[in-house]
Amino acid sequence: MNEAQRAIEHCYAQGWTDGLPVVPCDSDQLDAMLARVDRNPEEVLLGMPQLGRSVTVRLAAINAVMAGCLPEYFPLLVSAWDSLREEGYARKGIWQSTTGTASLLLVNGPVRQEIGINSRGNLFGPGFRANATIGRAVRLTAMNALGLRPQELDQATQGTPAKYTACIGENEEESPWAPLHVDCGLAPEVSAVTAMTMRSTAHIEARHTAVPEQLLTDIAGTLARTGALLHQTVSACVVLCPEHAHLLADAGWSKRDVSAFLYEQSFVPRETLDRTGKGAVSRISLWRVARDHPDAVVDEGADPTRNGIHAMTSPEAVLVVVAGASNSGVSAVVETFGPRGGRPAVTPIPAQAPGSTQDSRQESRT
Amino acid sequence: MPAVSVCTEAFRIPAQAMAKAYGFPGFQYVEVPHPVASLSAEGLRQRVEEVLPRVLDILGVEA
Repeated sequence: MNEAQRAIEHCYAQGWTDGLPVVPCDSDQLDAMLARVDRNPEEVLLGMPQLGRSVTVRLAAINAVMAGCLPEYFPLLVSAWDSLREEGYARKGIWQSTTGTASLLLVNGPVRQEIGINSRGNLFGPGFRANATIGRAVRLTAMNALGLRPQELDQATQGTPAKYTACIGENEEESPWAPLHVDCGLAPEVSAVTAMTMRSTAHIEARHTAVPEQLLTDIAGTLARTGALLHQTVSACVVLCPEHAHLLADAGWSKRDVSAFLYEQSFVPRETLDRTGKGAVSRISLWRVARDHPDAVVDEGADPTRNGIHAMTSPEAVLVVVAGASNSGVSAVVETFGPRGGRPAVTPIPAQAPGSTQDSRQESRT
Repeated sequence: MPAVSVCTEAFRIPAQAMAKAYGFPGFQYVEVPHPVASLSAEGLRQRVEEVLPRVLDILGVEA
């Protein structure tokens, strides 16, 4: 083995990897990462009092190096940790849960071009260093700094492939609507990252129609999936491909209209809930249970004229973004644990000081 | 108030890891057969009766 291989194998032997090889981190690389942010290295980005452990800026930087991040990715990553803290589910323990969630990072603004975040073809797939390594850095930090290793403190029954990495850009250039961060009050020229706690992504194959209601009813079929219902209701991030977004916008639909329609169409009749043994809610755990469960309370739906519930918590719990290639009618439903209609954890990314945005891959060649 | 932790057998390793994280690697807790979430009320009552002696034992209650 050569020296590089020995260092990589050392990291494996120490239990510092997610199963893929990591980049061994030395103090120069750590310093290069920390130099990109105006934050105290000992500042706590995410604390888990139930474990007595926390993620500091320094630990986030070490794991960012190990995940393969370049120093210029680090301001985005630190803002991602700020967003994860605001979103709230991670620090409440969701990363230890049997559900097996991942953290989806959605990136907006000019930082996408500056560091090469993919927002187009193969959005959720491999091939783009910034997407791959920034998403990976979050999980690697959770494993190494918080000790959330699988089958130990990470009790995921099955997990999701998104736990390796889940970081996407919004395709603002090919969207007919304002991007998420602008909807949330930021200027278009500000960059932002939004963390969400996700379970599955489901493909919506809809190349067949030019009728908005048909397209949205097709998507809503996935939103109304009873298998997603652990608690009373759920939320989702609907990632529309540009083709679907333009189909809707050209017919006069706003994002708000789309959310409202999808919410309405996420209706699940009581009979369907009963057939799956989820016709009621436990008054103690608030989990869905069968009507004959001793703690069962039949939850009235939002619409008193219909016997059933809307699987989505509210129209606001259906977040609509645009991403992917402009080459077909394939969209995705990302099932999320939050936000449940509150403001998404849209977090601005500080602009880098002039001169510091120099590509560190160039530096390494000199 | 004295308390005893109860978990199902499926959570033995996380329970031990949690105890270690808190600095109590030998922490005593009660294991019950898995699963619990899908048990009927009667099944749950039986489970409680089965483990009650162990709970009392950890609490230091003498028979």
